[in-house]
Amino acid sequence: MNRFLIVFLLVSHVVQSKEISVSLLTKSDQELANVVVYFTPKQKQGLAQTHEMAIMDQVDTQFSPHILAIQKDTQVRFPNSDSIKHHVYSFSPAKTFELQLYKELQADPLLFSNLGSVELGCNIHDWMLGYIFVVDTPYFGKTDIKGNLTLDLPDGEYQLDVWHPRIKDKLSSLSRQLTLPRESEIKINLKSALLPDVNQYENVSDEFSDYE
Amino acid sequence: MKMYRMNFLIMNKDLKWKMESYGKVLQVFFLNLCMLSVNCIAAEVKGVVQLNYVKADEQPSWFDKDTGILAYSKDSANVQQALVELSDNFASGLSYVVVANYYQLGEQNLGISQAQISYKPLSNSKFRWRARAGFFYPKLSLENVDTGWLSPFTYTQSAVNSWVGEELRTAGLELTLFSPGRARNSPISWEFHASLFKANDPLGTLISWRGFALHDRQSLNNDRVPFAPYPSVIQTDRIFHPDYVEPFHELDGNIGFYLGTHIEYYKQSTLRYYYYDNQADPLAVSQERLYAWRTKFHSLAVQHKFNGNTRILGQWLTGSSVMGDRFVFIDFDAWYVMLSHKHKDHRISLRFDKFKVAEDDIFPWDPNNSDGQGYTLAWRYDLDKNWQIGVEQHINKNAADIRATLGQKVEINQQQSLAVLQYRW
Repeated sequence: MNRFLIVFLLVSHVVQSKEISVSLLTKSDQELANVVVYFTPKQKQGLAQTHEMAIMDQVDTQFSPHILAIQKDTQVRFPNSDSIKHHVYSFSPAKTFELQLYKELQADPLLFSNLGSVELGCNIHDWMLGYIFVVDTPYFGKTDIKGNLTLDLPDGEYQLDVWHPRIKDKLSSLSRQLTLPRESEIKINLKSALLPDVNQYENVSDEFSDYE
Repeated sequence: MKMYRMNFLIMNKDLKWKMESYGKVLQVFFLNLCMLSVNCIAAEVKGVVQLNYVKADEQPSWFDKDTGILAYSKDSANVQQALVELSDNFASGLSYVVVANYYQLGEQNLGISQAQISYKPLSNSKFRWRARAGFFYPKLSLENVDTGWLSPFTYTQSAVNSWVGEELRTAGLELTLFSPGRARNSPISWEFHASLFKANDPLGTLISWRGFALHDRQSLNNDRVPFAPYPSVIQTDRIFHPDYVEPFHELDGNIGFYLGTHIEYYKQSTLRYYYYDNQADPLAVSQERLYAWRTKFHSLAVQHKFNGNTRILGQWLTGSSVMGDRFVFIDFDAWYVMLSHKHKDHRISLRFDKFKVAEDDIFPWDPNNSDGQGYTLAWRYDLDKNWQIGVEQHINKNAADIRATLGQKVEINQQQSLAVLQYRW
């Protein structure tokens, strides 16, 4: 979030900005956390590019965070906070790779230049699942546990999109065109039920890895 | 003076020979490790060392050729475990693991307890496969989940897995088909295992004669496990078998198999079922007079974690073993149930074991009935990520008819107290 504040402060000298809040409810009116919400400006010239390194850690044989949203051309580092080895991979078209993550050894960061979702797995711990979602804008974030996200955006025209691995609705049907400062509160209601929640895989971890 | 010098020279020569032979073993061992790790700069090396002080039971152990079913015979300080686990990847998905152990107890003090090469291709399919080859344990235990197949719960392991550790190993191939639940958006994950193996023909010898025991001594690659010199076993006019077994021998050329399945609900509840049959020819006998024992069993292990800190687990093993022309035939049953709770850096585990061997064979002068039950309570405390201290109390009541052939009481109560200092890296 600091990133957005810095971007905002930099551009606020010349451009008026507006706070915008997005809330997302499921078909059964439940809040959904961790939804990536991103605003792609119609006018892309002069957009800030982050130079910060993003982090996708492995903690207690889980990816942390479960979903990482990044701007295109961001480098992601994959540290290993566990005392055991991981073998992280992705078959997603947006980024296909594999990384051997030894304990106490740093792997080189990877550059994510293609848009879309990158599904991560671990070839040693099959229950591990994580996502990196790459967007083409500096204006993005994730909903909190109440399904809300608030961002400060410069005035202008945007396309609003959302993404979450459990959303079954066609993503383009959830997309919105909006003009700031005209709009400030946006509510999105999903029409289809969510895919099953299997995040209970993250709830009970085990300090003992199985023997080989 | 001359004689002293002679004696010294003889002793020196003897010592030198011993040192040389140990040195050779170490050399070969480390050479092998180096060969394995050459070009593999990031090989992972894990190790566990456990030093204990034991207050032993008065009935001496099978390691001292007696009939007790606990590992130690005297109050003493010991190296309980010392192992190194080396692992690395040759290429994507192709890896090896070698576990080398030192044991103070037993006949073979230095050796390999596991060595395997695994292949697990990268896949994002809902249904996947992997394979391994070498010298390894079938994954039938939910108790032995720490480095080097140790138990992180108690030091003295269940009767079921004490036996697996001392007599059972797969020298062969295992193929696994599996489906991680998360890849299917399902809480259920499953695995099917099928294996073909050789060199486990004497499996069943120890539980037939000595009966089940409770300890943490895993047999090494070329090990020999002693037991008491029961007259019905060793006399030339009786069964005429040595008072030991070398568990990892191939005696008949037959290929054994096992089939197993694992079902898991999230990471919370696990069930593992295995059917094992070494397909041995019970009439096959070696020059050393070790027999092939046709041993078959079912193993069912379950575990449920109430939360991240408290779990209940158990295992039931039931099967049979026969050697010779029904010289010995036994049915065996053993199970345990264990509750383990972790509070901050403390872990407390309590286990109840019950085990029984019932014979139905042709020699009444070789009585093989044995049974028992026991409680094991352990507290282990992590001082930091390397050091751990712990204490354990074990009590049991056990009976073995064959003790009568040595003029001993058939039924005895045994107990053992352990204080253990552990270092891991």
